[in-house]
Amino acid sequence: MTEPHANPEDLDLYALGALDGKEKQTFEAHLRACSACRTELVAARSRVNLLGLAAPPLVPSPSVKTALMQRVRAERPSAIHQVAPIEKRKKRWGLRFSLSFAAASVVLALATWWLVKLDLEQRQQIRQLQAQLGTVQNQLAQDATTMQALAAVTSAPDSSPVTLLEQPGGPPGQAHVLYNARMGLAVYSGQIAPPPADKSYQLWLVPSAGAPIDAGLVSANQQNGAVVVRLRPGLVAKAFAVTMEPLGGRPQPTGPKVLVGAAS
Amino acid sequence: MTAPMASVPDSALIEKMMTGDESALATLYDRYSAMLFGLLTRILQDRHAAEEVLQDLFMQLWRNANQFDSNRGSLPAWLMVIARNRAISRLRGARSRELLEENEGDYANTFASDQNIEDDASRAELARSVSAALNTLPAEQRQALELAYFEGMTQTEIAARTGCPLGTVKTRVRTAMQSLRQILG
Repeated sequence: MTEPHANPEDLDLYALGALDGKEKQTFEAHLRACSACRTELVAARSRVNLLGLAAPPLVPSPSVKTALMQRVRAERPSAIHQVAPIEKRKKRWGLRFSLSFAAASVVLALATWWLVKLDLEQRQQIRQLQAQLGTVQNQLAQDATTMQALAAVTSAPDSSPVTLLEQPGGPPGQAHVLYNARMGLAVYSGQIAPPPADKSYQLWLVPSAGAPIDAGLVSANQQNGAVVVRLRPGLVAKAFAVTMEPLGGRPQPTGPKVLVGAAS
Repeated sequence: MTAPMASVPDSALIEKMMTGDESALATLYDRYSAMLFGLLTRILQDRHAAEEVLQDLFMQLWRNANQFDSNRGSLPAWLMVIARNRAISRLRGARSRELLEENEGDYANTFASDQNIEDDASRAELARSVSAALNTLPAEQRQALELAYFEGMTQTEIAARTGCPLGTVKTRVRTAMQSLRQILG
C-alpha cells in the first residue's frame, strides 16, 4: 500500500506559490517521497505559468533597451563602444583593420583544415570559433559605422556646437555637443563629477516644442573620448541638457538638471 | 545586426550570447520584452518599476546565459518565471520569494508542456485562449487565482483579503485550476 497522495487543493496552491504555514511544510515533505505528486506538480506549474500570458503584451520605452545595451558594454571594458579622439583613432584604424583580417584569415585556415580532419565534436568547436569571429567582425563594423558618423558630423558645415554648463548647486562639470539636425546625429564629450552609485547621467535634446527627447546615458568622464548619439533627423534643438536620473535612465527627465546649454 | 537574427532559434542565440555576441541579446530582447513587460506592468502597476525589473532581467540573462539549458524548458518560460518572481519580490518588498525556479534550476518544471510560446503567433493564440479561459471562470474563482498569481498572495492572505474561510479559498483555486485544465487541455 502506497502513501496517500497530497491533497489536490494543496498541490494547486503550491504550484501558485500560495500554500503557506504547516500545510506547505507537510506538502513539501510528501513531495520528497512521492514521485507521482512531483509529476502532478510539473503539470500544475505548467498551467499556472500560462496565467502570465493573460497580461497583455506592452512595448517598453526604447530607452530601456538603450540602457541595457550600455550596461552590457560597460561590463565588457574591452568592447566599450566609445570613440577615441578622431585623429588618434584614424591612425589606429588601418593597423587594427589589417590585424583583424590577418587574424580572421588564420582562424579560417585553421577551420578549413579541421573540417577535413576532425570529427563532429571538433566541428562544434569550429562553429564556436566562427561565432567568435562573427562577433569581432560585428564589432569592427559597428566601430566603422560610428567613425563614419563622427567624421560626417565634424566635417558638416551645418553642424552646431553647444556648450553645456554646470548648474547652481549641482555637481561641477562641463560638456560639449556637436549637433547636426539634418543627419540626426550628436557628438557628446564632457566631464562631470561622478554621480552617486544609484544614479546615471542622461543626455536630452530639448526641442523647440514638446517634451525632451532621450539621447541616452552618458558617462561622468567623457573627456578623452566622445559618443555619437543617433536621433531622429530634423529635430530642431532649443537646448541640450544632462540630468541625473535613477540608474539606467528614464523615458522622460525626472531628476535635477546637471548641465544645460542653449543651441544657437 | 538584429534583423538577420530574427528567425534564429532561442537556443542558438543563447550560444551566441555565451561567445559575447551582444546582438543575440538584442534579438532576444526584441523577441520577448513586450511579453515580459506586460507581465511586469500587470504585477507592479508601475511602468518605471517594470522597466527597471525588465532591464535587470535581461542583464541576468546576459550574465548567466550559460545556466540556461534548453533541454529542461523553454527560454520564454524561464524568463516569465523569473520575471514574476522578481516583480512579486519587489511588490512585496521581500527577497524571500526568490523561488525555487530561479535559484535551484527547477524551471524545467514550470513549462514542461507541449505549449509553444517561442513562436509569436502561437504565443498570441495561447494568450487569447488563456484570457478566454479566465473570462469563463466565476468572478470569485478568477479573483483567487489572480491574487495568487499576480499579487503573490498566500492562501491565508487571500482569505483575509476576500473575507472568506481558508477552505473556501482552497476550493475556489482548485476548481479554477480544474476548469483551466479542461479548457486549455
